[in-house]
Amino acid sequence: MADFTASKRTSLAEADDRTLAGRAADGDVAAFEVLVRRYGPLMRGYSTRLLGSTDEVDDVVQAAFITAWQQLPTLADGAAVKSWLLRVVNRKALDRIRARRPHDDLDDETRPALTADRSVSPEALAEHHAVQSALSTVLASLPERQRQCWLMKEIAGYSYDQIADELDLPPSTVRGLLSRARTSVIARMEPWR
Amino acid sequence: MTTPIDDATPGDEVLVLGDVQLRSADLAGHTIDDLVDYYDAGLLPPDASIDSSAGCQIALSAIARLRALTARLVEDDTADQPPVNESWISGLLGQIGSQAQAGRDIPLFGSVADGGLVITEGAVRAIIRGAGDRIDGLFIGRCRFAGDVTVAEAPVEIDVDVSVLWGQNIAETAALVQLAIVDELQRHTRLNITAVNVTVHDVQRLAEPDGATGTDGATGTGGAVGTDGATGTDEEGAS
Repeated sequence: MADFTASKRTSLAEADDRTLAGRAADGDVAAFEVLVRRYGPLMRGYSTRLLGSTDEVDDVVQAAFITAWQQLPTLADGAAVKSWLLRVVNRKALDRIRARRPHDDLDDETRPALTADRSVSPEALAEHHAVQSALSTVLASLPERQRQCWLMKEIAGYSYDQIADELDLPPSTVRGLLSRARTSVIARMEPWR
Repeated sequence: MTTPIDDATPGDEVLVLGDVQLRSADLAGHTIDDLVDYYDAGLLPPDASIDSSAGCQIALSAIARLRALTARLVEDDTADQPPVNESWISGLLGQIGSQAQAGRDIPLFGSVADGGLVITEGAVRAIIRGAGDRIDGLFIGRCRFAGDVTVAEAPVEIDVDVSVLWGQNIAETAALVQLAIVDELQRHTRLNITAVNVTVHDVQRLAEPDGATGTDGATGTGGAVGTDGATGTDEEGAS
């Protein structure tokens, strides 16, 4: 494999994103499958953070890919398919959250942490794992709207105005939510330096 | 630790970093969002009020640390996913397969109006991909038709987007793919092909044997070496 001359005949699994997105837009299911395998795990991980659990993740990611298949012909820059897919799944996850909203009897900002605030002691775990799980815990404990804004900005790369559009909130509210999310995430991660 | 206050406006927050409390005055009047945006802009254009403020510098390093942690969190979340569930994938592909866009009808024999035999645009694209896939060291990406393919004998140009593996002679490979496409299309269709425009969008290195999973968006595996389009014949600005 290191010797490319021996393996010039390559499988689609190694093709670049633009090639795959272009072929999938043209109706190539095999190319689309490579994208599903390549970015499915990222989309699952992201939507798990957004949804706060893994319960609906399979459905949400599947719905995202079905929409992606239909809309790929409209994607102008195939090389950007990764971030485009994140946005598609972001929207599906938000739809799912909205759909369950009527059952919520808690106000957004007072909504409790999704996972109990485990106080992990720095000595107890390996460094990497501990720090990462601390960040995980901090994010999970943010009020839901703050968490959504934070994930959309910091992971999915939305702009402030785009977040406002997606969440149907005034941009000033989004800025406020993000500001609070950032302040509290930074502060709570400080002991883990 | 911090109790978010709902009616707080940006800038009211006190940034607590361990024993250090940074208020707006300590941040030279900047908000945490200003500093994140400044960080995201690569600390450009230089802002002396930030660059010379000790408080801002402390906050910026905290922002940088968090960014690094966030990137690792995404990597870990991705790596921690269960192995791909094959039945989930086949269920998904089963659903989308039936929705494939066939595109326009292209006359194969006689005219469409006369009830002649037709081939779909989607099928012709598949033929083009097939022709390219038989050539070593190249992937065919998107392809477009310029011209009215629904009218028999109407002149049609074909624009194909390709990615070439590192080490290939780009001009030779582009010429080969042009020939292969024309050959296949003449065998299977009655299209009057006046040009096959090949745009090389990427020169790609293959992954090392181990890390075969796509990591960064652009090329999935290796890393783009040169991404500028070399074109076979005159190029249409395909978007």
